[in-house]
Amino acid sequence: MKNETVIEVGDRHIREVNEDLQKACLAGLPSRVVNTLSRHNLGIGLPPNVTMHFEGSVGYYCGGLNTGATITIERNAGWALGEGMAGGHITVGGYAGMSAGAAMIDGTIHIKGDTGPRCGVAMKGGNIVVEGKIGYQSGFMAHAGKIIALGGAGASCADALWEGEVWVAGEIESLGVDVNVVEPTAEEVAEVDLILDPLGLKDTSREWRKLVSGQRLWYFESRDANAWLMI
Amino acid sequence: MCGIAGRIISAPGKVGLDLVRLMEAQEHRGADSTGFAIYTVPRETGYVLRGMGFDKSKQDADLEDFTHTLRDHGADFSSDPHIIADSSAHYCFRMEITEPNDIAAWIKDADELSHRIEIQSCGKSLEIIKDTGGAVEVADKHGVRDMIGTHGLGHARLATESSVLPNASHPFWARPFSDVAIVHNGQITDYYTQREKLQRQGYRFLTENDSELIAVWVSDQIRSGLSMEQALKKSIKSIDGVFTFMIAGPEGIGFAKDRFAMKPLVVISEADGMASATEEQAVRRVYTSESDIINHDGPSLTGLWSIRDWSRAA
Repeated sequence: MKNETVIEVGDRHIREVNEDLQKACLAGLPSRVVNTLSRHNLGIGLPPNVTMHFEGSVGYYCGGLNTGATITIERNAGWALGEGMAGGHITVGGYAGMSAGAAMIDGTIHIKGDTGPRCGVAMKGGNIVVEGKIGYQSGFMAHAGKIIALGGAGASCADALWEGEVWVAGEIESLGVDVNVVEPTAEEVAEVDLILDPLGLKDTSREWRKLVSGQRLWYFESRDANAWLMI
Repeated sequence: MCGIAGRIISAPGKVGLDLVRLMEAQEHRGADSTGFAIYTVPRETGYVLRGMGFDKSKQDADLEDFTHTLRDHGADFSSDPHIIADSSAHYCFRMEITEPNDIAAWIKDADELSHRIEIQSCGKSLEIIKDTGGAVEVADKHGVRDMIGTHGLGHARLATESSVLPNASHPFWARPFSDVAIVHNGQITDYYTQREKLQRQGYRFLTENDSELIAVWVSDQIRSGLSMEQALKKSIKSIDGVFTFMIAGPEGIGFAKDRFAMKPLVVISEADGMASATEEQAVRRVYTSESDIINHDGPSLTGLWSIRDWSRAA
């Protein structure tokens, strides 16, 4: 592709690689990052309005603190993909490891495979769309935002949820502590479809389960301690 | 936070070199100390010992007393002991010995000297090399890259539960079971309770490291009649804490993960072998192509890789 910057990772120091990425962003050029070898800390703190494509797999924290960049990862991502991101769009072609979208504030993460445990842990906004299955304890203490899982959910799903929502189509191995399963309204389903439609994933035949907080642990008192022992 | 690794190759080869690559890539997870458990080609008679003495100035006296215990049990060195020393106070050794009359009884007696000189592995093929420092430093000092074998383990330690001492490094040998070693990433919270139970049965622990427990605990379960697979599954409910550990024996490598899914393990299994590690970027140092990764990210997982069929884990 013309007018793109090709950046090699290999054995180079990650600081050097990220400096090259930032330079490409400042020049307004899309970047193609090759020979990624699942290295950590790639593409962190990117400015808005840039696009970056990682050929292969990336390691921990890729796309963290993103403020609006469009990032695609051809294969897998390691732990804490897009941690703390405040905007932008990250697409992962394969699997995303533990804590994808941890503490994210805004933006969209689209994972085409499954995720590891605690997807969306403590997220405070934005959307995580997972075509596969979300791992153990996904949605743990999610304060806001939506996790939308099209391929089911692992055990202890949505444990200790706050005001975030976990939407699941497919099997849920088990629910976490203090979770309610509610019937979504047509308006709520339409909102989810608005998120899925641009990703080509809208399917009106899905049977959704919407998981929300039971709010029994929001105002914790020691006499309620037995509730925690459900873990 | 520690880093662990396992490696199986299809025919005896430079397993040491691959384990150094796996651990060099994970040095940031803990550079307090690094260790390797290498399964060399098994010997038909005798044992190979690895260990260390804690005061280099007393090396001659240590080795003399150690030799006496060996001869008291009907064994001797089959070649001259190899001593590895640098500016540190401690020194390390590799010894090849003939068969003692009763290996467990000899180890028990030899351990009376463990405050001076400590056996850190004993086996037909197992050799544990461990020391303070990062992977490259330890590999250079002990010639790990040139070690030939079928499989092995690696560990980078960030000390949390006990001091930064050369003998508190991983891997740990399942004293006194020959040819069994473990590496562990995590913390065992009921360590002292479990250790006391095993001590009452006569087992001896030489460090304050919680991971030393796991090797002996699993081996004791197998001695009680469980298969390795059963023992690994039982460990998830019986041992409290957050952990991913790998245990190796002459037949291969097994792993177990806790109920909370806190510690990762990734695996690449190819026609020429298997590589596993805490981090994907480490196994990519051995398999540089975009080989398919298996992420053992979930809770309560166990698996076994045989050196004859490493593709059948979990």
